[in-house]
Amino acid sequence: MQIVRLFAGGTRTPGWWAAAVVGLALPVSYLAGSIHNGSLTGRSAYFLLTMTVGIGVGLWAWAWRPGTHMGPLMFWWPALWLAGDLPAAFPDSRTASTIGIALFVMGPIAFAQMALSYPTGSLMRSRLAWVYVFVLGYAAQVVQNGYNLLFLDLSACPLCPPPRAPSWLHVDATPPISLEDWNDGWLVFVIAILPIGLFLLYRAYVRANPAHRRSLGPVVATATFITCTSWITSYAVLTDRFSVLTPISWLQTTGALAAALTALIGIAVARRARGPVGALVSELNRVGPGHVRDALARALGDPTLELALRLPERGVWVDEAGRELTLPTGRERAVTIVGDDLAALVHDPVLLDQPALLDAAGSAARLALENERLQVELRAQLAELRRSRARLVRAGDEERRRLERDLHDGVQQRLLAIGMALPRLRRELADRAMASALVDDLEHDLRETLQELRELARGIHPAVLVNEGLDAAVRALAQRAPLPVGVQTPADRLPGDVETATYFVVAEALANVTKHAHATAATVTIERRDGHVRVEIADDGVGGAGANGSSGLAGLSDRVGALDGRLLVDSPRGRGTRLVAEIPCGS
Amino acid sequence: MRVVIADDAALLRQGLTRLLEDAGIDVVGAAADARGLLELVERHRPDVAIVDIRMPPSHTDEGLVAAELIRARVPGTGVLVLSQYVEAAYALRLVDGEQSRCGYLLKDRVLDAEELVAALRRVADGEVVVDPILVDELLARRRSEGPLDGLTAREREVLALMAEGLTDRGIAARLWLTPRTVETHVRHILQKLGIPADTAVNRRVHAVLAYLRA
Repeated sequence: MQIVRLFAGGTRTPGWWAAAVVGLALPVSYLAGSIHNGSLTGRSAYFLLTMTVGIGVGLWAWAWRPGTHMGPLMFWWPALWLAGDLPAAFPDSRTASTIGIALFVMGPIAFAQMALSYPTGSLMRSRLAWVYVFVLGYAAQVVQNGYNLLFLDLSACPLCPPPRAPSWLHVDATPPISLEDWNDGWLVFVIAILPIGLFLLYRAYVRANPAHRRSLGPVVATATFITCTSWITSYAVLTDRFSVLTPISWLQTTGALAAALTALIGIAVARRARGPVGALVSELNRVGPGHVRDALARALGDPTLELALRLPERGVWVDEAGRELTLPTGRERAVTIVGDDLAALVHDPVLLDQPALLDAAGSAARLALENERLQVELRAQLAELRRSRARLVRAGDEERRRLERDLHDGVQQRLLAIGMALPRLRRELADRAMASALVDDLEHDLRETLQELRELARGIHPAVLVNEGLDAAVRALAQRAPLPVGVQTPADRLPGDVETATYFVVAEALANVTKHAHATAATVTIERRDGHVRVEIADDGVGGAGANGSSGLAGLSDRVGALDGRLLVDSPRGRGTRLVAEIPCGS
Repeated sequence: MRVVIADDAALLRQGLTRLLEDAGIDVVGAAADARGLLELVERHRPDVAIVDIRMPPSHTDEGLVAAELIRARVPGTGVLVLSQYVEAAYALRLVDGEQSRCGYLLKDRVLDAEELVAALRRVADGEVVVDPILVDELLARRRSEGPLDGLTAREREVLALMAEGLTDRGIAARLWLTPRTVETHVRHILQKLGIPADTAVNRRVHAVLAYLRA
């Protein structure tokens, strides 16, 4: 029942069905042949069981891993291995000999291919692994097996191990190289190349990232074990130490069984994967926004996991900080979409082997991800608001500068020109006392106007702030205040925005002190510390000033806020007023 | 006396030229910006250059920059800066350095031909001129208590004139005092305020202005 349920679902292609037929036929015929020919031993039964388990696991994996070569590879290695041993079940059958000799050692080579290409099923990432499997493995073995198909014939040796019958391709001719020499040469070749396989396995393990290693470990371990037993077998045959062959064969079969079982367990664990997802659900309830990625990375066991959120309004993907990004398309990274274009997990392709885990984790994190996306959108809007406020303040300052310039260069120049013409008018009117007095009045009004103009322009935008800096501008403010003002400012210049904001904070604060505080003295302290500029204006007046009451203070709050700073007013009734602005100011 | 004028407003250039020529001063050239001014100064070697502090391109302190260039290229040329700003910082920048022969006047002074011409002559004679409005503002500054409180009314008068750039002789003439009396006042003032005595007129002005501003 459990088996039926395990096989329900998944994707089955015509290729899979063909493999299933082969996978069923092979063990059945092997068993039937062994019983019929009386060749079934404990060892061959163990071998048959192992390969049958391997074939079953392979078919299951194939159905659950569409899209990679991994499923077929997991099926083919035990199938080929079993087929290569068919002569043991049918020692005197020429058909069995033909199949057995043709597929001799192809099973272990397929196993090596599977192990070295785990988990993607592709060997394209390593040229050496490709050469090892396809050239030194399959191609060399085709040559070796072809020679034996043509010349091997042990029918005259009833005590020899199978295959004793010649293949259907057998030719009655003397081989150019004696079969003994040929096969000894092949053994030497095998003994020489197997260490390359060990090196490749070691390298694949070392290069894998931690998440990858967790699933790669059992594969590498069993493959290493099988490679070592293969080497010992080859060496024993070459040096005629036949006594070790039986125990080694038991060991090797055990290694293969372990490979099949760990693959089975691996898939079962990956399919269920309730543990990490359960932990994820409870963790997502605890962590705040901004930590969903970390929680997912832990649940999926992939520290390289990246999280992309979809902003539908802008039609872009962004990371958790709101930075735009593009989803990768290469083989190195895999992308799993969560929800209806809600988020994307960019992860190690090894996780594609665990679609159920990805699916479950995505579902579990869905609400948190939607929250995360809202947060990102909010942050983006907030950042835009900040930028827009800063732009407004800057535009306002620009406008003030322009106004000041127009007053000085337009209005004032014209008034001065008029004033310079007045003396001549007075000379022309020298003999008319009334007119002359009128000119005097005009001149007086003109001087007053010019003075007012000068003060107006200075209030709108102090040119000295730009040219001489904050220290000079603030000292000038203090100088004009109708009460003693102590000033302490840094000598060095600050960024323009910061100087302007600081200046207007001081100007507004001193204006308030003058108008409302009834103070006898005030101090202005501007200091730089910890990447901030701190401005404090304190007086000894009546206090009771509120940040909300005064439109001037509200304007200052906006101005300081536009630079990500803050404004504090401490004004207890009867104990003076202290206004503090803190503005960030990179060194 | 030969002068050149720099002001970007044509109305002002014309008015100023006429005003100075009426007063018998030889206006040998007028420029609209700092570069034209420097050419005129190098070509005509005038006694004094009258410079608007605001000129293109930024309309802020080009006149002060031009003043520094004139002093560097044609030493001995007097520079009278006409300014829209009652700002001690600008005046200090002009007075700073080794040369006298300079003045910082508010632009409104073009309405007082006599005062303007008097200032021009003082600059040409090697003195320093600082606008009285600026000095007034510095002196009017409220201090809860300070060394200025220790000055007599007469001494405050003398201090103001020192800040305006007058020499002891000039102060004596202005206040109807004998030069010896003025010298004594000056010595007392400098002592009370802790300003080091310096015979160079521009350094004395600088010291007094800086003291008043601090």
